Amino acid sequence: MAGHPERSAAVGGAKSRDAASAAERSRRTRLLAIGLASGLLASLALFPALGAARALAIGALTGLVFPFLFRADRAVSDSLMAGASLGVPLWALFPVVVLPLLGGNAPRWTAGEMRALLPALVAFVLFGAALGALARLLATAADRALGPPPAPAPSPVPAPRRVVILGGGFAGVTCAQELERLLGADKSVQLTLVSDVNALLFTPMLAEVAGSSLEPTHISTPLRTSLRRTAVIRGAVSRVDLASRAVVLDAARGEPARTLPYDHLVLTLGAVTNFFGSASIEASAIGFKSLREAMQVRNRVIDAFERAEREQDPGRRRALLTFVVAGGGFAGVELAGALNDFARGMLADFPELAPGDVRVVLVHAGQHILPELSATLGAYAEARLRERGVEFRLGARVKDARPGAVVIDPPETIDAETLVWTAGARPNPLVATLPVARDRRGAVIVDVTLAVPDHAGVWAGGDCAAVTDARTGKPCPPTAQYALREGRLLGRNVFAALRGKAPRPFHFDSLGALCVIGYQTACAELTIPFARRRSVRFSGLLAWLLWRAIYLSKLPGLDRKVRVFSDWVIELFFPRDIVQTAEAGEPSVSAER
Amino acid sequence: MRLSHAIPFAIAAAVGAVGGALAQRAVPGSLAGSATGAAAGVVFAAFARGRTTNPGAGLTWGLGFGFVLWLVVPVGLASALEGGARSMGMLDAARARFPDLVASLVLLGGPLGLALGTLGGLSRRGERPRFSWPRALVVGGVAGIVGGLAFGKWMAQTGFFPLVAGLVGSDSAAVGMTLHLVFAVLIGMSLGVLFQRDLRGFGSGMGWGLGYGMFWWFVGPLTVMPLWLGQPLDWSWSRGAALFGSLVGHVVYGLLAGLLYAAVDRLWVGLLTGSDPIRREPEGPGASLFHSVKWGVAASLSGGLLLNLALLAAGELRAGSGAGFLGSLLVSALLGGAYGLLFHDEAPDLGAAIAWGLLYGLIRWYLDPLTLAPILAGGAFTWTTEAASALLPALVGHLAFGAATASSFLALERRHAEWLLLDPRIASREARRRRPTGTPAPALWVFVLGTGVLLPILLG
Repeated sequence: MAGHPERSAAVGGAKSRDAASAAERSRRTRLLAIGLASGLLASLALFPALGAARALAIGALTGLVFPFLFRADRAVSDSLMAGASLGVPLWALFPVVVLPLLGGNAPRWTAGEMRALLPALVAFVLFGAALGALARLLATAADRALGPPPAPAPSPVPAPRRVVILGGGFAGVTCAQELERLLGADKSVQLTLVSDVNALLFTPMLAEVAGSSLEPTHISTPLRTSLRRTAVIRGAVSRVDLASRAVVLDAARGEPARTLPYDHLVLTLGAVTNFFGSASIEASAIGFKSLREAMQVRNRVIDAFERAEREQDPGRRRALLTFVVAGGGFAGVELAGALNDFARGMLADFPELAPGDVRVVLVHAGQHILPELSATLGAYAEARLRERGVEFRLGARVKDARPGAVVIDPPETIDAETLVWTAGARPNPLVATLPVARDRRGAVIVDVTLAVPDHAGVWAGGDCAAVTDARTGKPCPPTAQYALREGRLLGRNVFAALRGKAPRPFHFDSLGALCVIGYQTACAELTIPFARRRSVRFSGLLAWLLWRAIYLSKLPGLDRKVRVFSDWVIELFFPRDIVQTAEAGEPSVSAER
Repeated sequence: MRLSHAIPFAIAAAVGAVGGALAQRAVPGSLAGSATGAAAGVVFAAFARGRTTNPGAGLTWGLGFGFVLWLVVPVGLASALEGGARSMGMLDAARARFPDLVASLVLLGGPLGLALGTLGGLSRRGERPRFSWPRALVVGGVAGIVGGLAFGKWMAQTGFFPLVAGLVGSDSAAVGMTLHLVFAVLIGMSLGVLFQRDLRGFGSGMGWGLGYGMFWWFVGPLTVMPLWLGQPLDWSWSRGAALFGSLVGHVVYGLLAGLLYAAVDRLWVGLLTGSDPIRREPEGPGASLFHSVKWGVAASLSGGLLLNLALLAAGELRAGSGAGFLGSLLVSALLGGAYGLLFHDEAPDLGAAIAWGLLYGLIRWYLDPLTLAPILAGGAFTWTTEAASALLPALVGHLAFGAATASSFLALERRHAEWLLLDPRIASREARRRRPTGTPAPALWVFVLGTGVLLPILLG
């Protein structure tokens, strides 16, 4: 039996806990005794004003509380003065309010009554001073006679339970923040978040970075400043071993691979760009999911203008200044609008280039852009974008891309040096390596509580999960709005599981959608509060202002809000920045690559 | 006893002897004298020499000591010996002993504290935190002007400026106002010089400003002004009652000067020192201020309810008036938010939190029902003993508001701190931000709470 390590540890832990509580009891008893003795002695000052019985009772009561009010490292002079200052409220409490009330009378707080109680005020200040001084002196004497009070032994800390969150997007970070909020200072749980980037990217503002309206870092919040007690590890996950409950991280820069054991695993790995198997498109197009890609687009546009200005061949010049955006959802439309504003605004600095040279072409498989919104708002967006110079190829797909050209179906070849791909996303490829059930998109199927079936302690949410609304039974779209709510519920349900409570099902009524389609113009379709089946649609400046107000409020971090707001104010008075921050060496359909 | 240990006692005895002798001349029939003054000085040195680390700290301890000494000896012991420890007998005795209070503060506590504080400052030159003269003088001067302008409103209202002009032989209000502002600037500068090291936040700035303003009421209109004008000293309680408006004016001056000094000082430090990336706090000022205001508003619920109950019981809030009840709660919420903003990081323990809260409640009583409420009601403030007497029932409620709000605020602040303290790097920074023990805060509480509550009762 003696050799059983778990049982020995348990017995040792119990003994240690007993010792800690005994030490604490002993400390408290000493403090109570010192306080009581000090209070009774000091109450002599109250005798003339209150009489012996009341004075002793108040002295004892106050004395019992006093040692717990102040830290033990105060000197006698500090304690005396602090006690004297508390004499004033004690006077206001006892002879002015409590004693008359106990006697069935009204408080004695009129000017005349308070003046009549002046002896008591003097007595209470002196009582407080005596109490403060005596409490400190007796504590010092007790320390000398009995030795210092036993320091509270640190309570034995059991091995913490480990929660590992994979992914630093909306769902993962919100889950971590919710867990931090719920756990507070509870040291029995250890939180770790693994992300391949060290910041949370606020994707709704990504198009503004590509359009040089916002500084790139202003829309990213560092994970280490957003999270207080969560250990953040920047790195890529090599594999997840569900059987042995461990996450294996890639070896990085000479460091060995690292294994993170877990008790609860949260999969919020997000999605990656889906090129639908086209290697040529993947090699040529720029995706639009990361900050790096948004900066790449911005630099590509600036670079294209610089090269076009010295290009003598009109055809080549047009190809350089033609920007194709694949995908007519929110990301594609907002990007097309932002690129169009940026590119046409830059013409003022390139007098050799004509407005007719610049083309922004949006290719969309459906007949209406913005399928997430109503047809009328989609048509409005299309009309406004056309007015501002954006071309559309509706009912068309990008079929191929080669240097200097984008091939679409129905057959057309657009001479363009730049293709940005927003036409598809798929769950993070790591998900495909897990022995879990997946839907046809490849996302992890979860139950209504966001738990992965048949794998206790494994949870999933965000773009990598196939989430079904518990109330409507409908699949939830992979959007930031849903990811945030899923992240919050993940945090709550993991916390519930840690506490042995039942998890809650997921339900969320969408708040609506907002889409910027150009300078000071947006479309909005918002759900009416308390009438969730009904929505209100509007567009124009009001929708644009609402977009900015809502997303600014959602942007994590006060400093980021201030930075973005200042960018927006600067934009009102100064042209957009056209400084190229990187050489154009990125993937491109350009022949020069 | 080593010679170096005897020096503070010798200096304190000498200063106390001179103060006692002067007090005996100023207050005929007083218990004071050279011998008793020297004895008081020795007691003060034994009691506070370890805490008088600079002139400002020394002055604060000296004022706290002077106030307690007055309560113990002339009011407590002497009244008991004379058989006046019962109600109105004690009131009469305390009023009769009011000159002793002035003497105890102006001639004994203040000089003793300044002397030992100067000695303490000189002997600890190497270990003192950094002191910036330009900051103290410029910021203190600016704060003094603003406080002086606010105080000047009352002086103009009551025709006090010609009296001040009399100091230079004039009866012109403009000359009086100019002199008043010059004094305000000089006192503001001295506030900066004396208390720069102790003003850690806006709230403690208000606390020290309040105490310093009260001290200057005893020094200025009660002592220096009559002497300057060649008039006999009149430290009677009736003279104090006649100058009650000036007392509230000094309170408002001190509050504004202290608050503004702390605000500009923090801005100065924040821009020139705190903005250094190496010294930056893990949580930006925006985050910590937001948390503080949020917790202050939440904490004010308990304090606001207590205050409302007190006001209902005192008949100052009608029982059926739901709007009045809610309105008062709303004001409490706003003031709770202000408490969070002003007093965060000030309290290392519950006792300190209660003391700062009481001080805040007292400040609210002076500023809210006594000053702002009459102005908001469309009238003018009346800083008279009658107005203060009528508002004494509300004083208990305001003290309860402050204590309850501060206690709840500390609980919320600690909850957050426990979370932050999981990170040892943040723990050390948090410890630096919080007021340590050993500052003169307890002496300030005694002086401000004692005189702030006692004077309206005594002088009414």
